[in-house]
Amino acid sequence: MAQGRKGKLNYRCPRCLMREIDMDMLYDGAAGEYYCLRCSFVGPESQVLRLNAQFRAKYLDRTRRITDF
Amino acid sequence: MTTFYLTVIHRPEMVPEYLQKGAEAGKAEDIARSEVIRESLDIFRTQQRAAHENGIRTTIQMTYASLFNDEAVSLARDHHSKYGDEIGSTFLGLQCRQFREKFASRELAIWLFSMEDKRRIVDEVFGKFEEVFGFLPTSTGSYYMDAELVNYVKERYPAVKAAVATCWEEGPKAYHNANNSWYTLLDGGPWNPWIPSRRNIHCPASDESDDIGIVAIPHLSRDLMAVFDGPGSYYGTHPQNILRGMVYEDREIPYFMNIVDQYRSMAKYNRGYAYNMMFVGPGWMSRSGRWEADYDFLLKSYQDGMSYYGQLKKEGQAVDLTMSEFADAYRQDRPYTRPECTLWKDILYGSKRQQFWFADPWMRFCLDMNQGGAMIDLRPYAAKLIRPCGVGTQHIQDASYPFIVQSLYRAGYFTHYAGEGAVKSCKLGHSGEEVDLCACRTLASFSEEGDTRVVTLDPVEIGFEEFTIEVQSIFRLTEGTGEIEIVRTIVRTTDPDADVAVDEYITACYGTTEYPEDLTGVRLMLKGRLGSESIDYAYECREAAVDEIESAEVLVPQVDTKLSMRSDAKDAVGYFREGVAFSPMYTIGIKKTFRGTGELRTWLRVEKAS
Repeated sequence: MAQGRKGKLNYRCPRCLMREIDMDMLYDGAAGEYYCLRCSFVGPESQVLRLNAQFRAKYLDRTRRITDF
Repeated sequence: MTTFYLTVIHRPEMVPEYLQKGAEAGKAEDIARSEVIRESLDIFRTQQRAAHENGIRTTIQMTYASLFNDEAVSLARDHHSKYGDEIGSTFLGLQCRQFREKFASRELAIWLFSMEDKRRIVDEVFGKFEEVFGFLPTSTGSYYMDAELVNYVKERYPAVKAAVATCWEEGPKAYHNANNSWYTLLDGGPWNPWIPSRRNIHCPASDESDDIGIVAIPHLSRDLMAVFDGPGSYYGTHPQNILRGMVYEDREIPYFMNIVDQYRSMAKYNRGYAYNMMFVGPGWMSRSGRWEADYDFLLKSYQDGMSYYGQLKKEGQAVDLTMSEFADAYRQDRPYTRPECTLWKDILYGSKRQQFWFADPWMRFCLDMNQGGAMIDLRPYAAKLIRPCGVGTQHIQDASYPFIVQSLYRAGYFTHYAGEGAVKSCKLGHSGEEVDLCACRTLASFSEEGDTRVVTLDPVEIGFEEFTIEVQSIFRLTEGTGEIEIVRTIVRTTDPDADVAVDEYITACYGTTEYPEDLTGVRLMLKGRLGSESIDYAYECREAAVDEIESAEVLVPQVDTKLSMRSDAKDAVGYFREGVAFSPMYTIGIKKTFRGTGELRTWLRVEKAS
């Protein structure tokens, strides 16, 4: 199998991110997928982006400007 | 009249942590790699430009490595004369060829060196600074500086008046977040600037004789709710931290402004004073992108943040000071006993949750309105523990100030299957039924009566099988007493003939991490008008109660702390409860039964035991 290399933008493992562990993934160019050394996550960029969007969803106020304090 | 102070700090870090790591992919380490140094300086220049374009002055903290770089030195001189920026020094960014030659170490954290090495490094860094600039710095910093280090700096360089001294709640959570590889175990300090004790940097000084001689500034202004239960490097006034936490949508980050505005609102709780700081190292703005964000987004987030600060300044709502200027301003109106208070509200998760934070020379604590005002964190500052860190000390990396209560590290109200967790709360009981206020969500308001800060919680309804009651909690904090007065009032009942027991308690332990510590030797004591009880903790599950209680106490020699509870009720019962190894906690409490309505008033006191 090909050598794992740094992928674009230092994608973190989305599954580790869900438990608040920042774990940079490696990219397997031959298979076109990212993989995690820690939790066995594997997936293409589209899967990473989908799970990242899921991660952000917990911040219900992420788009809200709050001025009433 | 309110004043919102702002300090923006930049550092020309020649070999930034993240940038170096990225540049090294597939290459052997080379800390003199020219492209890294070039990019780092470009980022520093960009950060400075973003500040100056928005009318914000900065503190330039020169790293040791940057003192050997003519361009960095010349930029600092130029910006000092052109914009009035302060040139200070930092112990971050030590690593460079010259450091390796002199100290033969890859250690990057000043607080983790031996005391002997700390002294040598301080002298080398300050000496080089003076050689380059012709004067000594009046501000310095790192992610952490223990009291021993700051005492040495003050002894040798008395003109130093400000230091970035801790990262707020950057402890085990930050460590886990960084795949157990980031050794900033620094929990337990204040979230806003303070004058530290000579004995322990986390503790505010009690008086002039205890004053370490600097004003300490925490690294970043952090979200007091999100960071208490999450990574410190996700939620604060560090735009790229927010990108790391992914708190954005469509490249917009209103959350940054929300944090700033909540910090501005702290003027309401602190006699008109509020503070904010931004301190972003160049490694966070790498050209190759970071945290799933490309360079354009990294840059935009920084420019947006600075632009908001600039807007506030233009509107007359912010005063930008350099670190040393801020230290002078802070000391002008800061009696040692004045607490720092904040009723923080959730600005992230869409709840209405509030937490009240308090710090003074006696203690730091947090009340959680989501748990009926339960105390979920308590640090006994009164103990002023001498606790140096670094090689050759007892704790080495563990620089946190110990807790007595920490409900996230030690369970709190909810435990699995068995045992108790650390929390201070109150239970209401009737005929075998019992309800803990931890289960009663509420909201709070803040007020002041002279030198007493008052946190008043909205009453909560408690339903027993045959009747309901409403209970209100009020916390009164009189400046300079080291005590919390807690008033629990049954303000309404649907059955005036029903008896209700009000049980004010604290279940506690001690430690700095999630893992249990040995409680052997902790002493539990009850002192009543008619008798007393005392045991030394041995995990034997013992209990005792004393009528007409005067004081329920616990001595925790491991953290040199005495906790005591007293009441003004003549007929209250005091009790203690020893734990077992599966539940390594101790509990002291005061209980009184009322028919219909009534009020139990207790005081919790935190003292140095020895």
